[in-house]
Amino acid sequence: MLRFFKGFGLLSVVLLGAVTVPVQAAGDLLVAPTRVVLDGSRGTEVVLNNIGSEPATYRISLEIKRMTAAGGLDEIAEANVTPAERTALDMIAFSPRRVTLPPNQPQVIRVGVRIPEGTPPGEYRAHMLFRAVPDAAPAVAADPAKPAATGVSIALIPIYGITIPVIVRVGDLGAEATIGEAWVGDTPDGPAFNFGLTRTGNRSVYGDIEVTRPGVSEPLLVARGIAVYPEVGAREVSLRVPPELAAKLKGPVRIRYSEDREIGGGTIDEAERVVK
Amino acid sequence: MRKFGMKRAIVGAAIAALAMNASAAHAASATGTATAKILRQITLTNTSALQYATIISGATASTVAVTTAGARTCGAGLTCTGTTTAANFDVQGTSGAVVLVGGDSSVTLNGSLGGTMASTLTYSAANITLGTTGGSFQVGGTLSVGANQTAGDYTGTFNVTANYQ
Repeated sequence: MLRFFKGFGLLSVVLLGAVTVPVQAAGDLLVAPTRVVLDGSRGTEVVLNNIGSEPATYRISLEIKRMTAAGGLDEIAEANVTPAERTALDMIAFSPRRVTLPPNQPQVIRVGVRIPEGTPPGEYRAHMLFRAVPDAAPAVAADPAKPAATGVSIALIPIYGITIPVIVRVGDLGAEATIGEAWVGDTPDGPAFNFGLTRTGNRSVYGDIEVTRPGVSEPLLVARGIAVYPEVGAREVSLRVPPELAAKLKGPVRIRYSEDREIGGGTIDEAERVVK
Repeated sequence: MRKFGMKRAIVGAAIAALAMNASAAHAASATGTATAKILRQITLTNTSALQYATIISGATASTVAVTTAGARTCGAGLTCTGTTTAANFDVQGTSGAVVLVGGDSSVTLNGSLGGTMASTLTYSAANITLGTTGGSFQVGGTLSVGANQTAGDYTGTFNVTANYQ
């Protein structure tokens, strides 16, 4: 494993700027970048920073998540993973797996990949989870002065974290996507702009969505970082929008799905739709 | 082991700009040989807890609900006091980025004097699109309180994740 990480170069991290967001809880965190794609020959680095006001211990782990037709990500227990998902978990190596950071202290997580010989071509993916480990003893247990007999008091402690996909591509892969019907619908949380995305090929597609009205240069809606993963052939994209924007979106629009700006921003698909 | 070249060291340096989502194009306009890579970042901060406040249980089983906006519904037979809040999480990142919200749908609470309670959890959104000032989501829930529930301080933990796709 040591030899494996030798090629990653010197670790030097400079963090600029200051966190201005007021925080109360320990465990607040920053992760960069937000997506990792590896071709197998080189590794990369992910930066984790404690942006809370207290020291915190973070655990880094890999999880399998599967995309649903509704566009969500289902967490899959390790006992239920497919052989290909198992391969993904095994080929991605990272270090460290646990780190205690004082406030505003960044840590580089080195991520490497080792593709076993004979691995079939395809896209292998796991999701890297960064999460603070909660304090061992809940504070309420050590508070004998508090009158307990009068009622029931509740403390719900969230263990919260961030996941980013780590994608390994083996072989020469390709994929295309097609934009389907678009409509404005109601969700329990308010109106949403919805459209279908169909994918073909042997890898995921990923990019940005821009909805424009013909003749108007300013886009009505921009949504970045929309993926269709290989486990689904089609998904729905449902984006909550304010009611006034929902009304504006109805009618003729042009929807453009383009590749990430970092790799050129080429068009994946473009379609004229009349939003109902 | 050979020494790493300077070039490699610079390439290895990851500069995460916390301030704004500075684009690489702007960073590249300087003259000279300085190399900086601006990485896209995401931050998650917990700014309020899911608070059911204090509950005095009654002779029959009942529920206390806190909406994702923090409003309380105190079930029949219960006495509820104190201020309730929904859990709030702030997310910062690239403007326009879509972040999926995931988390447990229920949580078990253990009492300091014995006894357990269960709470379902509700999320204000399955995904959020970040604006120029980021975005946020809230977690509310419904707590099931047993008949003559054992008094005490109940604690439970639940998982919440902000997921990039």
